[in-house]
Amino acid sequence: MSEWQPRILAILCNWCSYAGADLAGVSRMQYPPSIRVVRVPCSGRVDPLFILKSLQSGFDGVLVSGCHPGDCHYISGNYVARRKFAVLKPLLEYIGLEPNRVQFSWISAGEGDRFAKVVTKITEDVRELGPATRLVKKL
Amino acid sequence: MNTTNELRKNIKSLIAEKKVDLFLGWEKGSLPLAATPLFVTAEDQADKAIFDVTCGNNLSIYFTKDKKQFEGRKVGIAVKGCDARSVVLNILEKQIKRENVVIVGLPCNGVLDRKKVLAKTDGREVLELIDNGDTVIVKGNGFDLQLNREEVLSSSCLACIYPDAQEYDFFIGEARGEVPNEGRLKEIEEFQTLSSLERWEQTRAEYEKCIRCYACRNVCPSCYCNVCFVDQNDPRWIGGTSEYTDTLIFHVIRNLHVAGRCVECGACQRACPMDINLLMLNRKVAMEVKDRFGDIAGLDINGKPAMSDFKEDEKQKFIMG
Amino acid sequence: MNMVRLDKQKFSNFILELSAEYTVFAPGKVGGKTEFVPIRSEDEIDFKTLVTDMSPKGIFFPSSEVLYEYDKQGIRVPEKEIGKPIAVWGMRGCDSRSLLMLNKVFGSAIQMPEDEKFQDPYWKEKYDSSLIFGSACNTPLSTCFCNWFGGGPHSREGMDVFVVDAGDSFLMEPVTGKGSNFLRELTCFADSTEKDEAVAKKLASDAESSMAAPMEVTDLGERLNDLFEEAVWEEISAKCINCGACTFSCPTCHCYDIQDEGKGSRGKRIRVWDSCMFPIFTMEASGHNPRALSSQRVRQRVMHKYSYFPEKYGEFLCTGCGRCVTACPVNLDIREVLKTINAYNKQGITNG
Repeated sequence: MSEWQPRILAILCNWCSYAGADLAGVSRMQYPPSIRVVRVPCSGRVDPLFILKSLQSGFDGVLVSGCHPGDCHYISGNYVARRKFAVLKPLLEYIGLEPNRVQFSWISAGEGDRFAKVVTKITEDVRELGPATRLVKKL
Repeated sequence: MNTTNELRKNIKSLIAEKKVDLFLGWEKGSLPLAATPLFVTAEDQADKAIFDVTCGNNLSIYFTKDKKQFEGRKVGIAVKGCDARSVVLNILEKQIKRENVVIVGLPCNGVLDRKKVLAKTDGREVLELIDNGDTVIVKGNGFDLQLNREEVLSSSCLACIYPDAQEYDFFIGEARGEVPNEGRLKEIEEFQTLSSLERWEQTRAEYEKCIRCYACRNVCPSCYCNVCFVDQNDPRWIGGTSEYTDTLIFHVIRNLHVAGRCVECGACQRACPMDINLLMLNRKVAMEVKDRFGDIAGLDINGKPAMSDFKEDEKQKFIMG
Repeated sequence: MNMVRLDKQKFSNFILELSAEYTVFAPGKVGGKTEFVPIRSEDEIDFKTLVTDMSPKGIFFPSSEVLYEYDKQGIRVPEKEIGKPIAVWGMRGCDSRSLLMLNKVFGSAIQMPEDEKFQDPYWKEKYDSSLIFGSACNTPLSTCFCNWFGGGPHSREGMDVFVVDAGDSFLMEPVTGKGSNFLRELTCFADSTEKDEAVAKKLASDAESSMAAPMEVTDLGERLNDLFEEAVWEEISAKCINCGACTFSCPTCHCYDIQDEGKGSRGKRIRVWDSCMFPIFTMEASGHNPRALSSQRVRQRVMHKYSYFPEKYGEFLCTGCGRCVTACPVNLDIREVLKTINAYNKQGITNG
């Protein structure tokens, strides 16, 4: 049987991080095949419910990425998102979820290499934690 | 009681002078340990109003519960420190207009947690309660107990810093001023020293008790979405059973929805029929909001709720490097 | 068979013998709350609490119950978690009566044409084989109002065995054949004496006289029908916040929703408690909600209990346990509501 591979949901903003992922692809950069990408208009669109719902449905990790502060296509979407994540992250840790399962990053359209690095990093972090169990709903 | 008499006088004159059409207060209910909301529309009803340790309800829920009821009406409201902050939030969020509300602040010494009283009486029914200020006397068949006020206060009150209304038109009695409450975060801090797995197991055990009655949501003045996310069914976000991942997600998301808007009045915890320690999440969120954004919900009527605001140069250590 | 006596020293034996045949539920403490929980020994039982915070309906009608599971192989009803039939210790008269009411709904235990009868297999499987040990209330609470609806602190309805706590012993009186058969098989009992029976009688009359006089309810259903369109409902519901604390703690509320939960090719169909207090309870697919207002929902709860149910099943859907009175976060007392209804007439003038 093949070794367990982490499954990570990557929620990427349309204008920066998704384009960054594209660049990583067309530049043939190597990164682990662990992510499933969902494209959203802006990191401000990311409802914490999406993140918890992903963990509940069995994803081993969630990566959320948007434009760097100051670069938001909608001027301030990522600033508002940052406040949400700033509260969400310690709260998830507080209730006893492993902190490294949910991570946030800023990746611009020109940072294909950074995208590959971020995905490699979260994959390694999640691999170390092993398969998610705590918030996973058993059906 | 003095405060009660003053309050009654105040309500009477507000109604008589037609400064308000409706006044929201509390009256003695059918149970000794909990007052019940009172809606005063005529002068003679004002004599029912009371203010004591049993007045736990945060009456500002009624501003958002049935908005039509308040359209074009001037409403008076009796508030404790926390309730006043809820009213301010309702004003900031444009649920009511400042000029349509007359806020009557009261000196609050904390409100009862019914469950704490029943733990003291060993489950025996309480038939009468006398609020003596520093002590509370509870009487039942064959017992008569004098309890220290602190022993039976709601845990939200034990952690309260602002017992007085910060925004008011009238203030009755003597303001208590800010209470330092040094140990207010002790419970949270102790919980944080546990290991991740221990925290998870305790959280799970706590939220497993939830029966999805939504009393916590419905008594919360900050919860007033037309359709709550748990009630959305197209798409349906979370399952309707009392399975723990669903109940926990409900509570965590509810807490994030009231992040920067929760005034820590503790109404949710007192309303919970399953005795869930709901404030353990609320208080953690409020703590993060204060530490990170320097914001305390509902204190500043010229402010902006923390989560709808931002600063460009905020710390972002949690973002991957 | 007459009353028998069980000395309290022998109670743990009794629970052991009962557990051999049954899964035993009894009032127990969970966190700071009391509810009926599966128990294995005497020490797990909470004897002090008169009315548990949650009603025992969940034993037979759980808050969520999987009706079936499905996958590509087909549909399966899940295996029973509890192999043995259920026995309940310490059920008060109000609660045991509520089971009779629920059995009318789920078990069609009522006079009606055969082809209209519906018997809920999930309910019947648990309820029909159960053994209910009732528990007399010697000191009714101020929130108890079972005497309004024909019940009483020493009511025996819905019990298989009626039990009186007489200080150092339990006096047990079989109510049904099932109850007397069970008592006959056990050896830990002594015959009751005349003195015992006098004690039980005295406790019953003391308990009854300690309760406040009941409200007259004979024409309640008719009055409610008359007042359906009246403004009184707005007055009554003004403080209601529309949570489900009353319906979920109620021993007789039995409305449910059916939900599907699936993932990939597997899934479950689950029955969960629902509450007429929630706006979504009547929300239609079109977006129209026939009971959009709080006053309409409060009216529905009262009408169902005291008008519709009596019309269909011949008794009020309320046993007067008082749980909704204590559970309500805003102290909207159902007794006050009924008193308002009783005193209200169409001119809006209260006469009482």
